[in-house]
Amino acid sequence: MIEIKNVSFAYRVSDAEGKPVLRSAVKDLNLTIHGGEFIVLTGSSGCGKTTVCRLINGLIPHYFEGERQGEVLIEGTDVAKEPIYDTARLVGSVFQNPRSQFFNVDTTSELAFSAENQGRDPEKIRQDIDKASDMMGLSPLLNRSMFKLSGGEKQKIACGTVAVADPSIIVLDEPSSNLDLNGIEELRKTLYLWKSQGKTVVIAEHRLFFLRELADRLLLFEDGRIAKQFSGEEFSRLSAEETSRLGIRSVGLPEFAGHTLCTAPIDHTITLEGMEFSYADKLHGIKIPALTLPQGEIIAIIGHNGAGKSTFARTLCGLNKKAKGVVHWNGKTVPASKMLGYCYMIMQDVNHQLFTESVLEEILLSIPESYPSDEREDRAREALRLLDMESFADMHPMALSGGQKQRVAIASGIAAEKEIILLDEPTSGLDYGHMRQVADVLRMLKENGKTVLVITHDLELIACCADHILHLENGMLHANYPVSRAAIFGPIQGGNF
Amino acid sequence: MQTTVLTFKESGMRAPLDPRTSLYSILIISMIMIGGSLSGVEYWLRFGCCILPLVLLLAMRNLRFAMVYFGLYAFAMLMEGTIIQLTEGFFNLILVMIAGLISRFLAPMVMGYCMMQYTTVSEFIAAMERMHVPQAITIPMSVMFRFFPTISEENSAITEAMRMRRVNGTQRGLMKRMEYELVPVLMSTVRIADELSQASLTKGLGGHVKRTHICEVGLRWQDYLLLLLLTAALVLFMVY
Repeated sequence: MIEIKNVSFAYRVSDAEGKPVLRSAVKDLNLTIHGGEFIVLTGSSGCGKTTVCRLINGLIPHYFEGERQGEVLIEGTDVAKEPIYDTARLVGSVFQNPRSQFFNVDTTSELAFSAENQGRDPEKIRQDIDKASDMMGLSPLLNRSMFKLSGGEKQKIACGTVAVADPSIIVLDEPSSNLDLNGIEELRKTLYLWKSQGKTVVIAEHRLFFLRELADRLLLFEDGRIAKQFSGEEFSRLSAEETSRLGIRSVGLPEFAGHTLCTAPIDHTITLEGMEFSYADKLHGIKIPALTLPQGEIIAIIGHNGAGKSTFARTLCGLNKKAKGVVHWNGKTVPASKMLGYCYMIMQDVNHQLFTESVLEEILLSIPESYPSDEREDRAREALRLLDMESFADMHPMALSGGQKQRVAIASGIAAEKEIILLDEPTSGLDYGHMRQVADVLRMLKENGKTVLVITHDLELIACCADHILHLENGMLHANYPVSRAAIFGPIQGGNF
Repeated sequence: MQTTVLTFKESGMRAPLDPRTSLYSILIISMIMIGGSLSGVEYWLRFGCCILPLVLLLAMRNLRFAMVYFGLYAFAMLMEGTIIQLTEGFFNLILVMIAGLISRFLAPMVMGYCMMQYTTVSEFIAAMERMHVPQAITIPMSVMFRFFPTISEENSAITEAMRMRRVNGTQRGLMKRMEYELVPVLMSTVRIADELSQASLTKGLGGHVKRTHICEVGLRWQDYLLLLLLTAALVLFMVY
């Protein structure tokens, strides 16, 4: 049993001048979670749900500094008074980022890691690894390099490590953020297994559709407090209108119309011809003999992990120098390797593409050399204004929130006068409100005459703004069709990709 | 891509040598190769020492590397043995330098590389604990080697972003270019390190209980044989 009694917590963080300030995260929280319960915590970013996870697994107060009041009791003992490695025996944790939660380089050692730290008998650990592999289907992943696994596979190993250690309470902090629908389905099966084993599960999530049949309670957080509670029954019956009013993601998934081939005449098109690229291993790559896409629209690129979506985007952007093929549009014919001059990609981890010390400088860096120097700043400010970021012009890009960084990156793409803007998973890990904001930005880009291609697993984003769907599988074109608006809000079911 | 990055073994069977034997070999090979002279007993000791990494490379079926290694040593030994005496002046100086660098440093480095290739992080930690090395040293060391592939992943993503933004050249100056590259690399590795510490804490790393290991570490006949040979070599090296 977990008892959170009158808990308030404020993180100690540095403000813009580097002075320590307190940022309140949860206030007067009272929550009792019984053994075997399955609790879903949701709410917009910064609402306090992650803080609740950290209060339970002991990272607060043992890792994060701040002011804590009240007490968090696990089976009667206060987490704050126990060393964190003792709490670790009772509480297993799975985190958001699959890349940063493994300590070992090989998968089998990683599975054993928690149990080894507890000093269990090696023979018993080996048996437990076999048992967990059988139940969770981990066998194909054993004895492999962590660095060669996909995000979904890494997350499966993270769950496996918890399963081998076998704690009675499991805390998951946005585990689905970086997963595709297959990965989420695997995660759902693991959660189902834990529920059936009678474990207490606490999961903080934005995406709710895969938790519908699992949750005993859904807690909606707002400003560090529990704003609403739903029973599992009530949760699964929430309609699309209700979730949208509550500002949370929907409980079902939108479904799209069948694969009607794109036959309607389109005035302006981007045509790809003979596009081909393969990696050094000769196994992976893309091969697209011919493809026509509507110019000036929002095109969603979908497909499973490993289907070649990113490779396609990188090739279209001209980042793969050795790629073959040409692209025609507006009477121009450009070889794929020269597309860098026309395309701009917003990467999934936007931190990788911000280099300078201020937001304005970031945009100035992108403005073509051909502009006279007295016009450059005006143009940069105009690009920022389009994205509502002008008031941040003097800030350091790294001091911005994730969504703001993304806008700065998009603004620099606009400043660079690129015609085609590609975005790689712009909404992974975003709450409902921020997802809607991204959709608005994409529509704004479209209104400004840009062609927008967006790689995404987020069906809700597609339902919000996409005009066209490009479906890739195994590095090849699987389907290419316009989104039929009428069909989007049709029957709610699991997605078809 | 990651195979070229310095890190511990990523998968597979038990290492052919215990990490302790490997560390001892690196130490002895370094002493003899770097400090040894080119004549008498020491010539033969050095010869023996540069054979060991070759045997390991062959045992790991890394044929291409083994051939390069063999070629480089054949070249260096040939130079040191004969051609240096036949040349003079500047050319001689260059040859002495190149041959000397190769013959003195290559073997210890390749021995280190081999150890990394066949030892997993957990085998390494387990062996260090058997030697009673405190966790304060073993944990940072193992994290460091887990981090090299991470940095290389981050770095390749950032280089790509720089190409897209056309700031990958040095037209804005070398310092600017380095800043553009290093700042995001540092930012993201710091973030990953932070998240990794959180994950390790919730997995109970650093407790007072004695850790156990599912990997098998322990000295086997090949370890004893090698330890004996290396110690004999060390004694000979010291005496002569």
